[in-house]
Amino acid sequence: MDASYLDLLMAQQEEITEEAAGGGGVWVVADVVNGSIAPVTLEGIGAARTLADSLGAYVYGVLLGAGGADLAQTLYQAGADGVRVADDAGLSEFALEPYLHVLADLFEAEQPEVVILAATQQGQELAPRLAQRMGGGLIEHVTAVTLDEATRTVQGAVPIYGGQYFEILACPEARPQFLTIEPGTFPAPFVDSYRKGEPTLLDVEPATPAVRVIGPAEDFEPPPVPLKQAPVIVAAGRQVGGEAGFALVQQLATALGGRVAGDRGARDAGWIEAGQVVDVRGVEVAPEVYVAAGIRGDTFHNAAIEEAGFILAIHPDPHAPIFESADLGLEAEPQDVLPALLEALGD
Amino acid sequence: MRIIVILGRVLDPSGIVVKGSAGRIFVNREEYLIQPADACALEAALRIKDGMAAEVVALPRSPLPDDDILRQAIARGADRAIYLTGPALKAADEAAMTGVLTAAIERLGGADLVLIGSTTLDTGQGQLGLRLAEALGGAQITGAWQVSSADGQVQAVLQRNGRYVAVEADPPVVVTLLPGARKLRYPDGVRLINVYRGVGEVGDALEAWDAADLVDEAALTPLVESRGKEFAPERERGVRASGTPAEMAQAAADALRQRMRR
Repeated sequence: MDASYLDLLMAQQEEITEEAAGGGGVWVVADVVNGSIAPVTLEGIGAARTLADSLGAYVYGVLLGAGGADLAQTLYQAGADGVRVADDAGLSEFALEPYLHVLADLFEAEQPEVVILAATQQGQELAPRLAQRMGGGLIEHVTAVTLDEATRTVQGAVPIYGGQYFEILACPEARPQFLTIEPGTFPAPFVDSYRKGEPTLLDVEPATPAVRVIGPAEDFEPPPVPLKQAPVIVAAGRQVGGEAGFALVQQLATALGGRVAGDRGARDAGWIEAGQVVDVRGVEVAPEVYVAAGIRGDTFHNAAIEEAGFILAIHPDPHAPIFESADLGLEAEPQDVLPALLEALGD
Repeated sequence: MRIIVILGRVLDPSGIVVKGSAGRIFVNREEYLIQPADACALEAALRIKDGMAAEVVALPRSPLPDDDILRQAIARGADRAIYLTGPALKAADEAAMTGVLTAAIERLGGADLVLIGSTTLDTGQGQLGLRLAEALGGAQITGAWQVSSADGQVQAVLQRNGRYVAVEADPPVVVTLLPGARKLRYPDGVRLINVYRGVGEVGDALEAWDAADLVDEAALTPLVESRGKEFAPERERGVRASGTPAEMAQAAADALRQRMRR
């Protein structure tokens, strides 16, 4: 079949219509970042679509903002059956009370069965308030969902101790069932660019934020995070490639929002202080991410990083013991790989 | 000014080992800590009290098998602590605790400021403080680095869009503190001994209230229930990337991005 004919045929498909307005449904509250629908919202629509198909329900998206009503089509294309849009200057940036006012009125009228929000600042602030106001249950930071079809109950997997294991939680009695989902943990849905619909505009009553911004906190400096508690550590070793290599380690730590550390070799070279030495005789660490650049990895060092969530090792010697502890090893000179890594992270 | 601090406890993660292949969690050392973010909230409350006339009252964030962390709060400078007890409270989740805590705060005569950690170390849940803000009908300031009070207002410093901003709100306000925002002070030695002995000026600072006297039993029914645990596949170590430095760097960048998104 001619592709252009297919395009014409698909473009003529009827607009999506909502047949069951009011009562139930799986709702997704959109996060908008820099004028676009956040990827986590599309992931939420995908999860909602799967749940709604099993429940025999519709998927609705809710879009709040100012002048962004066109974004509703993105929600339709990702799988929403209906979209509600609150378009008002007072909603141009997230503020709790104005957003809460719109959503609470909408959900009181529509009585959703499931409401999905992103585990972002917006979603994490709104979800508990909405759940409390509506008598709903809330499961936060969900990374996977299943459905108990007999009771129409959503079961969410929640990481415990940063993902060491997962607790499966459910709200069998409470409705709505609120979920906040972790960005990047659900697959992005297929985006059907031919799918389209006519969003419903909501009346917006103004609400004043209870928290007033005074201005920038110019003099404020957050307390330094002790190395032991740092979530990201980039550590240098003797084989990092001299001063130039250590400078790359510092750049990588900045790019990842982490702390600089090293082994005894780095301390002997004068690049780090004694308090930055990762070693069972120095500081034992348990970061989410540990990057070892040019560290050979003796027993004392490797034992001190045993509890790290993810270890990336870069070393030219294929027999370096650090590779046995690492989740991902790169057999290369750090000064060859680090510039490319910084570039790749910048993209 | 009455400041309520909500405190929870958590099993020290360095004392547990999770074995996914066995589907079990081994507790090698059963030691409990004050939830790190709640500890920051306590320190923030005590700092406000250091600078102005204020009463600091500690309440538990979840059912507690003992009152140890509340005694610890008194030893560090809290004026009072209320240990909530009762058989019906044992299974209480955040929604049920919201009802109990709201009733307890009302019995205390209300609060100008409620301080609580923004998240828990183990479950990562942060809903209790914000549910309380809704139940108390107050403003909420979420994820504060610093909190203070002056001129009848509550001020806080937050990070928004990569910048630090100062905000303020009228009481009552619920402020959630970030873990790491404040280092909790050490307990005062004399207060510590006296609070455990029940003597001296802190002798009657700890009270026990039965939750059944605060709310109906039906209000203590949890909305959230656990349906088991799942374990991630065993960690595979020793994987190596291959190719040119640029290809290896791309593989590393993808892995780092995926990990940091979690």
